[in-house]
Amino acid sequence: MRLPGKVAVVTGGAQGIGRAIALGLGREGAKVVVADLQLDKAKSVADELSALGTEGLAVEVNVANESAVKRLAGQTFSRFGRVDILVNDAGIYLKALVVDITEENWDRTININLGGNFLCSRAFIPSMREQKSGRIISIASGIAHYGAKEFAPYAASKAAIIGFVKSLAREVGPDGITVNAICPGAANTAMPRTHRSEEELMQRLRSNPLGHVLEPEDFVGPVVFLASDAASYITGQSINVNCGSYMI
Amino acid sequence: MNQVALITGGGNGIGRSVAHRMAAGGMAVIVADYDHAAAEKVGGEVKSAGGKAEALAIDVTVAREIKAVVTDVTKRYGRIDVLANIAGGSFYTKRIEEFTWAEWKEVVDVNLKGTFLMCREVAPIMRKQKSGRILNTASNYGVTGSALRTPYAASKAGIIAFTKTLAQELAPDGILVNTVAPGPTDTPRVMGKESPEARRQRWSDIPLGRTGKPEDIAEAFYFLTTPESAWITGQTFHVNGGLVTP
Repeated sequence: MRLPGKVAVVTGGAQGIGRAIALGLGREGAKVVVADLQLDKAKSVADELSALGTEGLAVEVNVANESAVKRLAGQTFSRFGRVDILVNDAGIYLKALVVDITEENWDRTININLGGNFLCSRAFIPSMREQKSGRIISIASGIAHYGAKEFAPYAASKAAIIGFVKSLAREVGPDGITVNAICPGAANTAMPRTHRSEEELMQRLRSNPLGHVLEPEDFVGPVVFLASDAASYITGQSINVNCGSYMI
Repeated sequence: MNQVALITGGGNGIGRSVAHRMAAGGMAVIVADYDHAAAEKVGGEVKSAGGKAEALAIDVTVAREIKAVVTDVTKRYGRIDVLANIAGGSFYTKRIEEFTWAEWKEVVDVNLKGTFLMCREVAPIMRKQKSGRILNTASNYGVTGSALRTPYAASKAGIIAFTKTLAQELAPDGILVNTVAPGPTDTPRVMGKESPEARRQRWSDIPLGRTGKPEDIAEAFYFLTTPESAWITGQTFHVNGGLVTP
């Protein structure tokens, strides 16, 4: 086990990639706070963590709500006393052409995807700074780099996360905190299913140089690597896990 | 059975740490270096730490030497799972008009041509296996450039594009090709050139507050050989303490 005794917070941890990451960190020995809008689903992930022999705590949170994020931090510290790893995964994926998107949906996307990174990172940095160590890992997207028709707010929010990660890495590096992003390629989760037929989705997911359909579990290894001692000298970077579909 | 890793430039610095890390991960390591004595020394260190190793002399700019080495290794081990192209260096710091054609070629050949020749010889073996990991070594200078190092920066940028291209070519055969781009790293070669104090001052703007250790870089190489990185190909891993964040 590479993360024994560490405490991790995973936002968006109730399903999809966030859930896989929460369980993956748990398998490495971390205690995990599963923070999500959907408390029932978060609770079942927390139960799965207990079944793995570690501890899980489900917390209901809207990452774009500052007082809710403060409550998340409060509950985390009162249960576990510290935080070593923050995974910013919570996000939404709304489809609309730029000329059609409402201001409300633009704001929601940017506030949750980007603002959630800001509020959650800010909530946990002071304690990481005190302990002179910490890992912040933000889940961005390959779409940050190559864009996606009808997903401009999502692409903008994910590209902004990368800029945020680079700046924050420079701010908190002297305190021994690393900040990195993972850019997943399109993966077999519920998220893209809201907008595509099953057949269209699977065809799209397979069309990469390695011909592999990315599953949520495929992002766990890179996250564990970034969270572990092995990556202590890597900061401000984006790790592209996309089967070679985009190389930058 | 052990996986087999062939490591060029394995006799010193980053290559030496990569050899140790791969061996600690259970691989049989073939330490190949222009400096045979250095390769022998690292091979000995790995063996006394309980790992499997052997040492070879290689000049990565000479195609027939590479062919002989790869043929011999394949005959004896039956496979090559990991190729780490680490042999290289910048060698000179001078203005472009002061570079001779011979010096330019020396730098470009050991970095870029050496990477090409090694990959060309090993790729067919990995294609037969339907598996393999190729790890090339770039530098943050391959992205940012560096005054007085024109051939080095050009060859490292070339390695990044070469890696992406080879990754696309070899993906259908299940072979992954990635680049590790170290930042300033405390290798004996660079540590011999300046005082620790001068070095600390020159790199005082690294966000993590220190220059890299060869072991830091070796961890990224090792990660890129594990099942956890199975879906990463054509990418550049910058290990530089946050100095360069492309």
